[in-house]
Amino acid sequence: MTQPIQRIVIVGGGTAGWLTAGVIAARHQARMKSGFSVTLVESPTVNIIGVGEGTWPTLRSTLQKMGVSETDFFRRCDTAFKQGAKFARWSTGAENDAYYHPLMLPQGFAQLNMVPHWLESGQNRSFCDSVCPQGDICDDGLAPKLITTPEFQGIANYAYHLDAGKFSLFLNEHCTRKLGVRHVSADVTDVEQAETGDITALITREAGRIEGDLFVDCTGFHAVLIGKTMGVGFKDCSDVLFCDTALAVQVPYETPEDPIASHTLSTAQSAGWIWDIGLPTRRGLGYVYSSRHSGEDAAHDELMRYIGPRGKDLSVRKIPIRSGHRHIFWKNNCVAVGLSAGFLEPLEASAIVLIELSAKLIAEQMPACREVMDIVADRFNEVTTYRWGRIIDFLKMHYCLTQRKDSAFWRDNCDPATIPERLQKLLRLWKYQPPWFLDEFDRLEEIFPAASYQYVLYGMGFRTEIGPHDTAGTAQLAGRMLSENASVSRQLRAQLPKNRELLRKIHEYGLQPI
Amino acid sequence: MSNIVVLDNQAHRSVRVDSAVSARNGDNERFVPVVLAELPFLAVHYPILLSKDSETGAFFCGAMMGFDAGENLFLAEQAAQSVYRPLNLRRAPFFAAGNGLALDLDHPRVRPDGQSLFNEAGKPSAYVETVVAVLRELKAGAESVKEFTERLVALKLLEQIELDLAFDDGRPRKVIGLYTIDQQALAALPDEAVLELFRKGYLQAIHLLAASLKQVPLLAQRKNRHLLSAAV
Repeated sequence: MTQPIQRIVIVGGGTAGWLTAGVIAARHQARMKSGFSVTLVESPTVNIIGVGEGTWPTLRSTLQKMGVSETDFFRRCDTAFKQGAKFARWSTGAENDAYYHPLMLPQGFAQLNMVPHWLESGQNRSFCDSVCPQGDICDDGLAPKLITTPEFQGIANYAYHLDAGKFSLFLNEHCTRKLGVRHVSADVTDVEQAETGDITALITREAGRIEGDLFVDCTGFHAVLIGKTMGVGFKDCSDVLFCDTALAVQVPYETPEDPIASHTLSTAQSAGWIWDIGLPTRRGLGYVYSSRHSGEDAAHDELMRYIGPRGKDLSVRKIPIRSGHRHIFWKNNCVAVGLSAGFLEPLEASAIVLIELSAKLIAEQMPACREVMDIVADRFNEVTTYRWGRIIDFLKMHYCLTQRKDSAFWRDNCDPATIPERLQKLLRLWKYQPPWFLDEFDRLEEIFPAASYQYVLYGMGFRTEIGPHDTAGTAQLAGRMLSENASVSRQLRAQLPKNRELLRKIHEYGLQPI
Repeated sequence: MSNIVVLDNQAHRSVRVDSAVSARNGDNERFVPVVLAELPFLAVHYPILLSKDSETGAFFCGAMMGFDAGENLFLAEQAAQSVYRPLNLRRAPFFAAGNGLALDLDHPRVRPDGQSLFNEAGKPSAYVETVVAVLRELKAGAESVKEFTERLVALKLLEQIELDLAFDDGRPRKVIGLYTIDQQALAALPDEAVLELFRKGYLQAIHLLAASLKQVPLLAQRKNRHLLSAAV
């Protein structure tokens, strides 16, 4: 007899828990009447971490599929637009050293690789500005859309900055009221397992025994199920990514009319980097650094230098970071999503997008019965391991392409012994051919597509030797794309409102659903 | 651009306004906001579509009179009073200001060869009285347009419509940012929603909006006739 998978039990009420609950419940809404259930068990005593304030554009479709109103989301979660990241002082460390990793693909990306043409053109403008209008838009502090643009649609591609604590509460309300997710406030005191190792039930202090067919571990760093119960080990990657501590602080705006940046600003420091994220109500800042390369006092001083005189009265929260991930993510009938699966420094805002992709994969591939669950689990583990590996490589690339030699942190980051083999090979390859299609990043849901590598590589001054004939066949097309991009950029700069102005209007009037 | 002041029978004793319908007087509008009470009069001549206010994103209903900016293909008939002329054209250059009137002194209608707004005793002229009545209708109508369009959005009854037209001058026109009634969604409405719309008088408005779509090809023919007469 087959054992159907009907009762999904999620442990943990942070961003990971509620997003996973929402994605699964929305996808299986039709089955809810016939026994399918999603239960989220949240500890009344454990605080959520709430680190992720930056997201990827994927969150737009994730929220839309959950039936969320984008207007409500903006109003309730201190949400602002994010159109990419600006990396300052990562290459040379000089005052004017900065490049963008925007969210829009290079002009004509599907038709041709613009990199050789840009390299050949003498590079008078940055790669990003030559092929994409978004750097200009961000420099001008503009929003990616108009008040008349429908919810979840953009004129320029966009993601969000948000208050993670408010986001969890917002999702909680939506999931329980609209999607039929059952919310249980209780501490898990014990976990019941069958002889096979499968989890059969949670024992809770407040709500007794909670049975389930599939258990999702969203308990954050505690990793209650995947770590403690299932005994899955943790693969540390601090040998590649050195940062292990964050000092986080919230900085109020000087006046209510201060511009809100529509990109994440990431500024390299002596032993790490500072994130600077503009929400409508405040800026969220943090220094992510390597404690092997800087003491806490020195890091604190660097953070205060960045903030300026207003920083001295602000309370700074210290957050330890353990870079790495589980050896596997789905074992028996237990799958880890969020910090319980792993954590990496928020350099490319990969935390929430990984939650979305994992939740989507679970929801779409939801095993019909226990008999086929291991097949799904194997595939989940394969693709998730691949994703963590690619993110680690991509983050490391930001460091190891630096020309900075001014501190041990940067010198150590360029030590080949710290650079994953796969990344080393890619960088060797890209000396002679720039990444594009048919490169290895061709999975259906690649977190960082070849375009992202292009922006970072050539933003950081990477050199690719192109042959004299590499551009011959597509020169005319490339010329057209370059002038097309210049015209799109002019048009958007004339048309788009200031970021703060549009956020104010969304609060006042709302966006239309169509 | 505009210089809007509250109308005063002393300060504006000598101000004159030309109420004639003409391009020179600013009647060349291709899309004019309208209120629900006007729909039966409009639907027999004009396509009535929805669009979004560029400042607030809010939907409003409008009568379409042309395809290009500043093109009103009904200008002659509106001047001859052989077709219905929307309240918002009749209102100009006046606005409501509380219970009184305001006037845009920079509007092209404000001209020395126009008519005066007050008689010798300082009483408003018959023209001004008409405008007051027009503005009263518009004010009452604005609230119901807001409610109506919000119901249409909430019931998911709107769909975007893109007018992609080729005219006899060989230049294609694409008119974007317009919305109309989604007939399939309308047909699928649950009974209680239909009843609610009917009781509020919205169902008739919905049918008028839908029926007026048939005016789009007629408006296009009108455009071609204008192009032809301009060419010969």
